[in-house]
Amino acid sequence: MKPKKSAEWRRLDNAAKIFPCTSTKADAKVFRFSCELLEPVDPQALQQALDRAMEVFPGYRCVLRRGMFWYYLEDSVERPEVQEETRPLCSPIYDQNRKGLLFNVTYYRCRINVEIYHALTDGTGALQFLRVLVYHYLLIRHADRFAENAPVMDYDASATEKMNNSFQKYYTRKRKAPEKAPNAYHLRGPRVPESRVRVIEGVVPVKAVLQKAHEYGTTLTVLCAALLMCAIEQEMMVRYKKRPVVLAVPINLRNYFPSESARNFFSIMQVRYNFKKQSNRLEDVIQSLNRDFERELTQDKMEARLCQFVKYDFNPVARIAPLVVKDFGMRIGYELAEKKETAAISNVGKIQMPPELAEYIRLFDVFVSTDRLQICMCSFGDNLTISFTTPLVSTDIQKHFFRALTGMGIPVEITASRLPDEEGVPE
Amino acid sequence: MKTCDKCKVKITGSTPECPLCQGPLREDGVPDPRGEIFPQIPTVLHKHSLFFKILILISAVAAIVCVTINLILPQHGWWSLFVLAGLACMWLSLAVAVRKRNNIPKSVLYQVVLLCVLTVLWDYFTGWHGWSLDYVFPIACVVALLVLSITARVFKLNLGSFIIYTIIAALFGVIPIIFYVKGMLQVVYPSLICVAGSLISLVALMVFEGGNMLQELKRRLHL
Repeated sequence: MKPKKSAEWRRLDNAAKIFPCTSTKADAKVFRFSCELLEPVDPQALQQALDRAMEVFPGYRCVLRRGMFWYYLEDSVERPEVQEETRPLCSPIYDQNRKGLLFNVTYYRCRINVEIYHALTDGTGALQFLRVLVYHYLLIRHADRFAENAPVMDYDASATEKMNNSFQKYYTRKRKAPEKAPNAYHLRGPRVPESRVRVIEGVVPVKAVLQKAHEYGTTLTVLCAALLMCAIEQEMMVRYKKRPVVLAVPINLRNYFPSESARNFFSIMQVRYNFKKQSNRLEDVIQSLNRDFERELTQDKMEARLCQFVKYDFNPVARIAPLVVKDFGMRIGYELAEKKETAAISNVGKIQMPPELAEYIRLFDVFVSTDRLQICMCSFGDNLTISFTTPLVSTDIQKHFFRALTGMGIPVEITASRLPDEEGVPE
Repeated sequence: MKTCDKCKVKITGSTPECPLCQGPLREDGVPDPRGEIFPQIPTVLHKHSLFFKILILISAVAAIVCVTINLILPQHGWWSLFVLAGLACMWLSLAVAVRKRNNIPKSVLYQVVLLCVLTVLWDYFTGWHGWSLDYVFPIACVVALLVLSITARVFKLNLGSFIIYTIIAALFGVIPIIFYVKGMLQVVYPSLICVAGSLISLVALMVFEGGNMLQELKRRLHL
């Protein structure tokens, strides 16, 4: 009646520890990677592909459990099942009382969606998973073409590399000087009902944006961050203008410390701009951000950031505090940190697939659950997808942002998620 | 494909207005190659909310009516307080049941602990006749252990969870030995049976699932 042997388990990685206690209905800490194909998705083939992907990522077949002192991941025997998309975007995956897998795979028309709970992995891990899934899907779907000469996937991390907690590996006891930062400007306004998020994404040609970024003497990420700051500035209430606009920028630590981990290995940096003291010209914002990025993105700062996550592991009081106390403390710390950020911008970068498979794929897309506003970007081929998620009803920031892009002569194609009360012609 | 002339963007899907500025859209006759990207997910309706609303109304009416009658006829003492306390206990238990509805063994454990604490309080405030410790406490513990082993079979409970909940229930079931030693009991046999039963389950667990039990304790208590 029950399995004879008790299951394997492992600790959460250091970045994941914050997520179980801060996941709420409004911000479920779930993010989604989608791949939009040029043909409708076949569910059976996708299920087969998922079964194969699970063999590549056996560590993802696990549930999150509560111990006396820490959360931990325990291997599960549940088989993930492909479903048509029927839940609101990025709805909660982790439920304390209902142990289930920490990700789900859905499809709708031409899109394959992978939604993952952040405690399991970060964007890079999730992206590898989706790439492997799409790879197997296309191989199965077009078996007649790829039977003989299957294209080769450039992903070959070993099982231990994938399950590696890279935070522990690179910990050096380096301390970061605590920064005193003022509270940031906060976006306000009515929210979408049912704790849902609104997604508005724009597809733009990479080349045109890159060219524009180079004209301004900067990178794509900085250009978008500056445009976002300026868009926020246009909506700022005058009486709050003295507060800085602070953007959180997640950084993939794998670019600084060699790692093939398919678990969390990221950190966050903040860039700020004060519109009361500084001008609101795009060029000036870009210049200020350029300096910030240059100052923050150094190996030295990265080491300090990495150690931030790990240092509590060596604090005896923090370790032996029961989980309920830890949860409470971490929640307070998280709330305080939240006050210092306005929005977030995350650039996943260029996504690559074997060229034979790329001709079946239109674009990739990524976005996250948030209770503020977050931009996620990724590019595939010449399609750069810029996705805004926010629970706020107002779409003015998105409007300013995309109008600024079209004002530069860049063509934009907008897609918005649909809320239940919005009209629309049913198919 | 649709275009918003104000925002100068193209828009996919069947939306009648611009998602950015809510302005009207112009159809340019070129078919939209992508079609609908996101499904429209209808509002999730909470089926149980009416039942709870009625229950809340009934309890509120009962509480208010009882207190009112009590105030009109004060010569029979403050019996309405019992009604209020009873209602409070019911809602407490219901709240636990609803919150933990997806985890049956945990729900059983919480209910048993709650039941024991509440009955001891009732007993204490109604003149300490000792019935809570004599009967309710031990019987609740034995029932909890039985229910746990039954649910483990019926719901194919995860082995680790079964072990940990059985350990907690069995340790809770050993508590009546304190009442016995301290001489707080008037009727001793239910308590002694309960302690014996709990010890037997612990020993049985150790004999049959010793290795797994150790593993489970290790992972639940890792620092």
